[in-house]
Amino acid sequence: MKYFDGLNYYEILKIPENSSFLEIKQAYRDAVSIYSEDSLVTYSLFSTDEREKILKIIEAAFLTLIDGNQRAAYNRILVDSGQSDTTFISGQSQKKSDPVFHPGKAANDDQLAADATKNIQADEEKQLSDEILSKSSVSGKDLKKLREALGVEIHEIHSLTRISVSVLNAIEENRLESLPPDTYLRNFLKLYAEVLQIDPLKIVDGYFKHIYRVQNTD
Amino acid sequence: MTEIYPIGGGKGGVGKSFIAASLGALIAKWGHNVVVIDLDLGASNLHTLLGMKSPKLGLNHYIDKTVRGLESTAVPTMIPNLFFISSMHCSMEIANLLHAHKLKIISAIQKLPFDYILLDLGTGTNFNTLDFFLTSKEGILVGTPEPTSIENFFRFINAVYFRILKQTLKRSEFHSAVKDAVTEISGATAGTHDILKIVSKYHPDKVTDLKNKLSEFKFKLILNQFRKNMDSTLGNKIETVCNRHFHSNFQFLGTIRYDGQIHDAVFSKTLYVHKYPHTQSSSDLKKIAEKITGNRRPTSLPKEIS
Repeated sequence: MKYFDGLNYYEILKIPENSSFLEIKQAYRDAVSIYSEDSLVTYSLFSTDEREKILKIIEAAFLTLIDGNQRAAYNRILVDSGQSDTTFISGQSQKKSDPVFHPGKAANDDQLAADATKNIQADEEKQLSDEILSKSSVSGKDLKKLREALGVEIHEIHSLTRISVSVLNAIEENRLESLPPDTYLRNFLKLYAEVLQIDPLKIVDGYFKHIYRVQNTD
Repeated sequence: MTEIYPIGGGKGGVGKSFIAASLGALIAKWGHNVVVIDLDLGASNLHTLLGMKSPKLGLNHYIDKTVRGLESTAVPTMIPNLFFISSMHCSMEIANLLHAHKLKIISAIQKLPFDYILLDLGTGTNFNTLDFFLTSKEGILVGTPEPTSIENFFRFINAVYFRILKQTLKRSEFHSAVKDAVTEISGATAGTHDILKIVSKYHPDKVTDLKNKLSEFKFKLILNQFRKNMDSTLGNKIETVCNRHFHSNFQFLGTIRYDGQIHDAVFSKTLYVHKYPHTQSSSDLKKIAEKITGNRRPTSLPKEIS
């Protein structure tokens, strides 16, 4: 039996070093579902002690990588110890503008096969995001639904984007009177969409269309 | 080049014979020469799943020297290019198989002139079953998405490791304490880890070699009798876990969905993939067969679309 000997936090969570917030979160969720006590896969494979050790490491990996400052410090350690090159540390900010749910995104067959696990798992989420993206107008309710399906909390969006929780709530609850001026709102929606890795342009357009519709039906 | 795939998995009733027959038929239909060999000595029923009566000729004729080569015991089936070697009339149970006979069969299998050789193994982790499993450098494990069956996956892997270690450590250069330990520890539990620990104490330089020996063997996994509403990522998760925590390379080949007609086909003694080629389960089997052949089609024959 081998454990995580010699693996770094990224390898333990099976994610690339430039992973986004959402990818780290999903990877953590996957890891816990594999190693938890009631997991069909591993319940018979590890003793209670072994399992606790494994879950502790996974937890440490997650808590480090999900926190911007801790992650930067950890990356530096990896580079200093020669485990990683400097290419990813220079572009320190995590990749943001790569919408995984972008419809029509080209991918070759091999990649599709390799991503099969993720795809199956993200099926429901993808369906939901496709559904939202195909709408001509996007309401706050749609955004909330997607955010919850992805397992992202309001306060997490707040800490990543610095948009205040009350504004985020106003966006999700369609409280037009509490929304900031359009230029700000446009930017906020873009940041919000980036965290959820959904096409920002469509979300901004859709949301403004939604507002327009509501205002003109009153 | 010949590829040999033993098909095992600790538990009974998970569909090893069904999968051997189905994969054999599919790969043969693509024009490869295939033989499926029933090595479930004492409980043979592969012929039924191939939709045929038990042939008169079998493995026993090779052992008792009625025929000269094992090749001569291979009989044709209803599928062109698909051959079958029966063990129906082998009087011995697998547990009573003579060591010399076993070695004779294994080395004959390795010399058979086919493109693909599929070995249908019996239930359990009996050492004769394990030796047949180790006829090749890669083998297929079949299970169902149930706790007991997944437990058996791990038990089987551990038993295979234990067998490999035991074979290696028997050799004279190892310390008697190591040999004693191997004799004492039963293969059922965390034997591998314990043995490697003892070896590292007496022969620290040999541990890497032993681990390499274990990693030489490649496992392929199939989940059978998959029903709706089950975790569709289960197989991939098992693959991930095995690759991480065991020493070898593991490849998940796919799931085969449950279909009541499979049961009916067995009862009516017909070859399921031949009779129902367009069901979900047949298409699942086709995908798995494609992964095994790597989509290679024999060049000598015209491409057949199936």
